[in-house]
Amino acid sequence: MKSFDVAKTALGNTLRSKLRTFLTVIAIVIGAFALTLTFGMGAGINKYVDHVVEGFGQEDEMYVMGSQEAAQEQGADDEGPSEYDADGDSGEMTMMGTSTLDDDDIDAVRDIDGVESVQAIVMIDVDYLEGADGEQWTVNRMGESVDARALEMVAGDPPAQDAMELAVPEAWVSALGGDSPSDVVGDTVQLGFTNLAQEEETVEATISGVSEPSVSQTGQVPTPSRELSEQINEAAMSGLPEEQPSTYIYAVAQVDDMEADETSIKEQLTDDGLTGMTLEDQLGMIQGIINTVTWVLGGFAIIALVAASFGIVNTLLMSVQERTREIGLMKALGMSRGKVFGLFSMEAIVIGLMGSLIGVGAGVGAGVIGNALLVNGPLENVVGLVLFAVDPISIVLITVLVVGIAFLAGTLPAARAAKKDPIDALRYE
Amino acid sequence: MSTPVLETENLVKVYGSGESRFDALKGLTFEIHDGESLAIVGKSGSGKSTLMHLLALLDAPTAGVVALHGRPVSQLKTKEVSRLRNETFGFVFQQFFLNAHQSVLENVTLPLKISGWSKADRERRGLEVLTQLEMDDKAENKAKDLSGGQKQRVCIARALVNSPAVIFADEPTGNLDSATSEIVEDILFGLHRDHGITLVVVTHDDDLAARCSRRLIMQDGMIVSEEHGVLVDHHVDSTLGTETDTDDDTFDPSQLGLEDQDEIDGADQAEQSEGGRA
Repeated sequence: MKSFDVAKTALGNTLRSKLRTFLTVIAIVIGAFALTLTFGMGAGINKYVDHVVEGFGQEDEMYVMGSQEAAQEQGADDEGPSEYDADGDSGEMTMMGTSTLDDDDIDAVRDIDGVESVQAIVMIDVDYLEGADGEQWTVNRMGESVDARALEMVAGDPPAQDAMELAVPEAWVSALGGDSPSDVVGDTVQLGFTNLAQEEETVEATISGVSEPSVSQTGQVPTPSRELSEQINEAAMSGLPEEQPSTYIYAVAQVDDMEADETSIKEQLTDDGLTGMTLEDQLGMIQGIINTVTWVLGGFAIIALVAASFGIVNTLLMSVQERTREIGLMKALGMSRGKVFGLFSMEAIVIGLMGSLIGVGAGVGAGVIGNALLVNGPLENVVGLVLFAVDPISIVLITVLVVGIAFLAGTLPAARAAKKDPIDALRYE
Repeated sequence: MSTPVLETENLVKVYGSGESRFDALKGLTFEIHDGESLAIVGKSGSGKSTLMHLLALLDAPTAGVVALHGRPVSQLKTKEVSRLRNETFGFVFQQFFLNAHQSVLENVTLPLKISGWSKADRERRGLEVLTQLEMDDKAENKAKDLSGGQKQRVCIARALVNSPAVIFADEPTGNLDSATSEIVEDILFGLHRDHGITLVVVTHDDDLAARCSRRLIMQDGMIVSEEHGVLVDHHVDSTLGTETDTDDDTFDPSQLGLEDQDEIDGADQAEQSEGGRA
């Protein structure tokens, strides 16, 4: 018997008792559906995280922060307070659990082999932004200049790092007197803030472009260029007779070859009392958790599939029993054991294939529709959220897995059919 | 004399062992020649079905040899035996064994499907055979919608479709009324006569056995007598029987004449037996 005929006959046989096949297929469908949804959600959320990561920074950047140990609360261990050392890093401020950086730290980072350049990030506090028409608008928070190159622009360009430029969010356009985003590009604005002596200072800047909110929350606030943010910082730190030491929240080191130098740079940073984190470090853990949850849920789906496979065993055993005579006849007419085995295995595969196609199809459908409903409904405010993504490779893998499980389930009944003796099968007493 | 299509030597089949040991066949040696029509006759339990299974290579003997065209088949591989069965034999069963939900044509072409013919070739050959049996108008009907006689005709078509050298018929008329039996018998013997197909019939129907050119009468696993020649009066006359021997002399020239007579008588007999049993 030709393989094509085996497949066709197997399909015909499975359609013979439709209800039984249908019920068996349903069980497979449930497993395949659950598996597709689980892995689709895993892929979707990972995609979302990837997208967030993109906005957070670039892969060739290492984020340098003060050592977390230095910021640890005193007395947390048994050693008590440490002795005061006038030459030490006593003036460090702590922020969000890590200590801030000073100029010495930045110089130390710059000296590390493999580090191309370092950008120190200062925190700037701007009170208001004054448009061309003289109206002043409160600025709750300024963006960070490192975000500039990851901004998603509606009009104009991201602020050039060495010019006095800034990008404003889309929501600000009408306040600044523009009808469309492109109207405000090129406008000159004043940024007002207070220095350490509580004196009003202003700096003039040009709007280079209009940004839209991105997944990583950048672009929702005015984003200055590096030059602009340094100018503001300098002016803000002035006003007192003594020059204040600069403090930086963190620094961003550009690394030429992250893969090769990552470990050595991190070691040197640790020696300097600093911590370096790559993008992967920051988000790898989140993705690790998502992947673990995906695999655990996927495991449950596979348990459902294994349960369904016993349905296949049962169905095919019944089928073999019912078709004893037919099998006997085929063997009497010269069908080999191998082909009989192949025919029944193929029936299992057909059932598996039907189940997986329907299940995966339903899973993808439910995922895509559910994603659309949630993302455009209750979760509308989460920018760029993806709950479900269609990953062709995992869809193929799930189909192959389901068909594989079905084939394994079919081997027992198929072997039993192949073993049938044509004489016993054709005996009619 | 030509090589026999099938020959056996000291064929023994034993079922079970110890106390439950049952000797189904106790050392049979005989030959079946090309173009012969042979009836294996006996009561149930006489071993006639077992013998047919061994001849048809459906089962392996406990001891002894079955040779096909002079070649012993006992030591052939299962797969090879399956292929031989597919290409050399046709089977007609009492219980028909048709796939009820499949069309007549699909049922008829099953052996060709098994041997790997293409769909187009299968259907062409299937229709050819169905036309031969005047069943071509039923080709697309479902097998379950046929009458008993039609079903058996489909079975014969299925047995013929691979142009076999030998057709084994196991109680081919056992499930049919006498009128239909006659028609089926006529078809079988017509094929035997017109196409030279060797016919091996297992039956306890004396009328059917009488139409064969040779009869092996079995009892308790042994051939107790062997009869030659077509019996005109459809009654197995034991006086014509000879002791079991392997010396085959059925191929005398008179056989053709006898068969012609058989054809004429067969037509008469159809009326007779119909009237007689009504």
